[in-house]
Amino acid sequence: MSDLDDFKATYFDECSELLLELEEQFAAIEGGDRSNDRLNAVFRAIHSIKGGGGAFGFSDLVAFAHAYETLLDKVRGGEIPLTDDVAALCIHSNDVVADLVNAARTGVPLPPEYGADEKARFDALCSGDDDGGEPIEEFDIDFVPVMVNFDDVSEADEESADEEMVEAEADSDAGSDEPAVDRSGQWEVRFRPHSELYARANDPLLLFRELASLGQMTVTAVFDEVPPLSDFEPFGVYCEWQMTLVSPTLTEAAIREVFEFVDGNCDLEVVDLGSIGKRPPSRPAAKAAATEAADDGEPLPSFADLADTVKASTPPKQAFIPIRAEPMTVKPAVVGDAAAAAPAASEGEHRNGVQSIRVDLDKVDRVVNMVGELVITQSMLTQQMDDNLRARYQELVRGLEVLAQTTRGLQDSVMAIRAQPVKSVFSRMPRLVRELAQKTNKKIRLETIGENTEIDKTVIEQLSDPLTHMIRNSADHGIETPEKRAAAGKSETGVIRLSAEQAGGNILIIVEDDGAGINRDKVLQVARNRGVIGPDQQLTDEQIDQLIFAPGFSTADAVSDISGRGVGMDVVLSNIKKIGGSVHVRSWTGRGTRMTLRLPLTLAVLDVMLVRVSHNPYVIPLSSIVETMQTARAAFERVPSGGRVLQVRGEYVQVIDLCERFEMPSSVDEKNRFVVLCEAEGSVKIALVVDDIIGQQQVVIKSLEENFESIEGIAGGTILGDGNVALIVDVQGLKTGTLHRNAA
Amino acid sequence: MEALGFRDEAADRSAIVAQNSLQLIAFSIGEQIYGVEITTVREIRAWNGATPLPNTREFVRGVINLRGTIVPIFDLRARFGDGQTSPTKNHVVVVMSVGDKWVGILVDAVSDILTVSKDDIHPVPEGNSLDTELLNGIVTHESRMVGLIDLHAVVSGAKVDG
Repeated sequence: MSDLDDFKATYFDECSELLLELEEQFAAIEGGDRSNDRLNAVFRAIHSIKGGGGAFGFSDLVAFAHAYETLLDKVRGGEIPLTDDVAALCIHSNDVVADLVNAARTGVPLPPEYGADEKARFDALCSGDDDGGEPIEEFDIDFVPVMVNFDDVSEADEESADEEMVEAEADSDAGSDEPAVDRSGQWEVRFRPHSELYARANDPLLLFRELASLGQMTVTAVFDEVPPLSDFEPFGVYCEWQMTLVSPTLTEAAIREVFEFVDGNCDLEVVDLGSIGKRPPSRPAAKAAATEAADDGEPLPSFADLADTVKASTPPKQAFIPIRAEPMTVKPAVVGDAAAAAPAASEGEHRNGVQSIRVDLDKVDRVVNMVGELVITQSMLTQQMDDNLRARYQELVRGLEVLAQTTRGLQDSVMAIRAQPVKSVFSRMPRLVRELAQKTNKKIRLETIGENTEIDKTVIEQLSDPLTHMIRNSADHGIETPEKRAAAGKSETGVIRLSAEQAGGNILIIVEDDGAGINRDKVLQVARNRGVIGPDQQLTDEQIDQLIFAPGFSTADAVSDISGRGVGMDVVLSNIKKIGGSVHVRSWTGRGTRMTLRLPLTLAVLDVMLVRVSHNPYVIPLSSIVETMQTARAAFERVPSGGRVLQVRGEYVQVIDLCERFEMPSSVDEKNRFVVLCEAEGSVKIALVVDDIIGQQQVVIKSLEENFESIEGIAGGTILGDGNVALIVDVQGLKTGTLHRNAA
Repeated sequence: MEALGFRDEAADRSAIVAQNSLQLIAFSIGEQIYGVEITTVREIRAWNGATPLPNTREFVRGVINLRGTIVPIFDLRARFGDGQTSPTKNHVVVVMSVGDKWVGILVDAVSDILTVSKDDIHPVPEGNSLDTELLNGIVTHESRMVGLIDLHAVVSGAKVDG
């Protein structure tokens, strides 16, 4: 049972990926790219979802996917034009598929007629030609792989199709000198599944059904390799099948196409019995070879010579393809006249597929951690080398230099493994904007820039929710209604620009809109009413803008189902903080709002400054440090609260003495201490006073929460070269923590 | 097949023993002996300092590096309200798993491994809430009292503000 669950889990994982892929493809299709590649990708995704769903008996999902697929096939075949309407239907259908997948995953049933409307529209669109309805019952749902019986495969369809083909064959054969020979049109297929095929929830029975639809078929199971029971492995694959297919128009490509989705997971031999021992070869074989050669550039070796002869000598072959395509478009596989192009494209993809492997993220993390340790050890070794040693052991020095380089390279490569383009998140946004525009009756255009910027995978995973909230906020609060925009002299269509770029060790994700900007009076008023700030507290414009991230804050007059409940922007802040990033908002009244997410490039390794607080080592992320100075040279001023502020170039900055804050006695004379000037969110500076500055280094972030709990002002821990733990100072946490303390 | 049957019997016997008895690691704090179930103990190591954690209660001695992960150390003496231990190299940290977390408990010494019968576990006398909070029960071993530590309770409430 648990193995079946494993398979199911794999299937659902794949579904999520496929649904994402659908999203991407349709984003491109909407963008005007209507090439067949896109449609093929969509078709394959739906087909894979259907195939797996069938194996697990998710009947609703299979039925819907099947109807959808039929439509897609016709669109792909050019029978139904891909109008905006059809695209919209498809996009909507993707949601239905997603819901059905989700229902199958969670076991929570959907309303009985869920998706019926869409299905009716598929049928209406498809009924333009009567081939449209291969009855769905034929693609049955809860089969149990017990016996192979192909009698129920829509034979009426089949025969008429075959007849047509025969006629077509006869027609085109008329001009040919070669009479058909005995075994022409007879094919032998040997199919030996690997265990992965089953692990991917493929059912050979489905393949056989599809094969049977291509012609007269007999199938024999070969049990030669079944071992004695003592050697029998429960998950071993011991059975293979041998099939003979008889159909005058069959091509090797058509047969192989049936196995397209299990390519690489089985051994497949396709032999044209008609061509064996005969020269010149009969037409179907020749054609198969020719197709193979033309599409692939790499014909099977045994057909290589045939291909050469045929390529030069068979003019009428082109006529075949559309003719055999006609009746076959109803089949739930990649057939039709797109078939000519499909094998080439899909094989190319398969080849790409082989070049990437699926790896458990945990395994990658382990490597990342170890590389992190290596980096630290390496930097520790380098630090140990003083001038004396350097002079004495030159070989060692050289070795260490190489080690340093290699370690850097290794680190970069490992990080690159985890890095993913932000596209995977960005691609979900166009439809969000589309939906929001509909709901709010606004005209909104989304522009995305820099979607190939790469960030660590864990960061990406945490990015989806914040971005969704930010875009919602922009669409709901930022962009005005078309009327208001027109009145303000702006274009009726509002623009939300989503961009990603790398800036030093950070990734900046910017959500910008050209809407009304933040209504500061209102924000201030609401903040006062809700007690977020004191009644007399004076804030700068920037501080007011930043208030929208306060928990429970919303200025929306009416709570809509989009935003306004006051949850949202504080979620953005907390999510982003969790991954070590920061959020900054700037707004220009009447011109728009810009929200900037600053994210770390990686979560694993951090450049830090090592400092001493009392007798304990602490590290401060280098990215937040502006400058350092000795206390003796710092211009401190007293303020009424009893605290101190620091004057830096005319600016007054809050001072936090880490010894006081962490309740540890300072170990050095006041004037020999150091000030580390840091920048928190929104360019707010704070000055941290520490006992000593030890140096810079790279550290691997370790979680405190893993075995303990989070501590205010501490972002985590790290292990120094001597094996001791140093704590990482959370600059932003210190700042907000101090605000709370003073308020209390 | 006979050999197999024999093994089964042996397994059965040890299962019966295991059902009724409990193996404890016993350690001392001053004169007092405490114990935790042996299956929760991951390792025992000598005290080698810890990095103090700010804004935590006095019984949190700080964190140590245990082969690349950060593990908090709790001072059991301080947890019982007897003031912080002044640890030496002879003091011992018992690393245990509590739920899915690993924690270290600083004690004076590890004394023994005890096998006690579950039937001999007595409830903690009501009276001082700290006792009932931190102990799961009391067993007698060789006429000495051994308090069974409730690890979940020991590690809770570690933060000053929490």
